[in-house]
Amino acid sequence: MQLLLKVFPVILAFTEEAGAKPEGPPEVPNIVTLLYDRFGAYTFAQFLHHWENVFFSVLIAILLGTVSYLASRRPRLVPGGLQNFMELVVEKLNNFVCGILGKEGRDFVPFLGTLFIYILCMNLFGLVPGMKSPSSSINTTAALAITVFAYVQYTGIRKLGILGYLDHFAGRPRDVVGIVLVPLMFPLHVISELAKPLSLSLRLFGNILGEDVLIAVFVGLGVTTIAFLHLPIGIPLHFPFIFLAILTSAVQALVFASLSTIYFLMMFPHEEH
Amino acid sequence: MPFQSALGFAVPLAVGIAAFGSALGLGRMGAAAMEAIGRQPEAASKIQLAMIIGFAFVEALTIYALVTMFILQGKIS
Repeated sequence: MQLLLKVFPVILAFTEEAGAKPEGPPEVPNIVTLLYDRFGAYTFAQFLHHWENVFFSVLIAILLGTVSYLASRRPRLVPGGLQNFMELVVEKLNNFVCGILGKEGRDFVPFLGTLFIYILCMNLFGLVPGMKSPSSSINTTAALAITVFAYVQYTGIRKLGILGYLDHFAGRPRDVVGIVLVPLMFPLHVISELAKPLSLSLRLFGNILGEDVLIAVFVGLGVTTIAFLHLPIGIPLHFPFIFLAILTSAVQALVFASLSTIYFLMMFPHEEH
Repeated sequence: MPFQSALGFAVPLAVGIAAFGSALGLGRMGAAAMEAIGRQPEAASKIQLAMIIGFAFVEALTIYALVTMFILQGKIS
C-alpha cells in the first residue's frame, strides 16, 4: 500500500508529461528520434525525422533485396542454407496464392508474396530495439492498399475487357430484373470497390499502431514504476505483449495478403457469383 | 462540461462498446469454426484460413473505433 501510494503520483506525473506533448500517441524511441534529439539543429536529422517512416520502409526494402540477392546469387540444384529457406518460403506462398486463385494465380505470386513478406517485416521491425514499424503510419499502409487497388482494377480490365469490366460493375445483368437493378447496383459496386483500400489500410494501420502504443505505454509504466529508486533501468513490463505483437504482426500480414488475393479472385471471370 | 472531458469519457467508452460487439461476434465465429474443425479435421487448414479472414473483417470494426480514438486523442489534451 505504501508502495502504491508512492508509485501513483509518479505515474500521474508521467501521464501528465506524456499528455503535455500534443504529438499524439506515445512511442518507444527509435534511432531517428534519438538522432533528432541529439542533432536536432542539423539538416540531415530534420530530414530523417520528417521522412521517418519512408526511411524505415526503404531500409526494410534494401534489407529484403540484399537477402534475396544473397540467396539467389549462386543457385545450386541441391539448395542449402539461405537458398533452401527462401525456396521454402516461395513455395509456401505459391501454394497459398494458387490454392485460392487456381492455376492463373501464378502470375500474381510475385506481387502478393512480396506484399506478405514486406508487410510482415514492416510489422516485426517495430519490435527490434531502435527501430520503428513503418506500417504504424497511415501513409505507408494507404500506399500499399492503393497499389493493391490499382493492380486489381488493372487486372479486371485486362481479364474482362472494358465492357466486361463495366458489366461486372453493373452486377452482370442478364434478365429484366437485372437491367432494372443496374442504377442501384452500379453505385453499390463502385462504393464497395472504393471501400476496400480504405478498410485494408485502416485495419493494418490500426492494429500495428495499437500494438506499438500498447508496448510503449507499458515500457513507460515499467520505467516509472521503479523511478523512485533512481536507477537507470526499468521493469520489462511489456515483455508479455511482445508475443502478442508477434502474433498480431503475422496475422495482419496474412490477412492483408489473403484479402488482396480474394480481391483479385473477385475480378476473375467466372460463371456463377 | 468542456468538450475535452466529454471526449475523455466518450472515446474510451466508444472503443469499449465496439470491442464488446466484436468480441461477441468473434466468439460465435471461433466456436463455429472449432466445431467445424472437430467434425472435419482434414479440412482444418481451409477452415482456419476462412476463420482468420472473417476475424479480420469483424476485428476491423473495433479498429475503426481505435483509429477514431487516435484521431481524437490530440484534441483531449
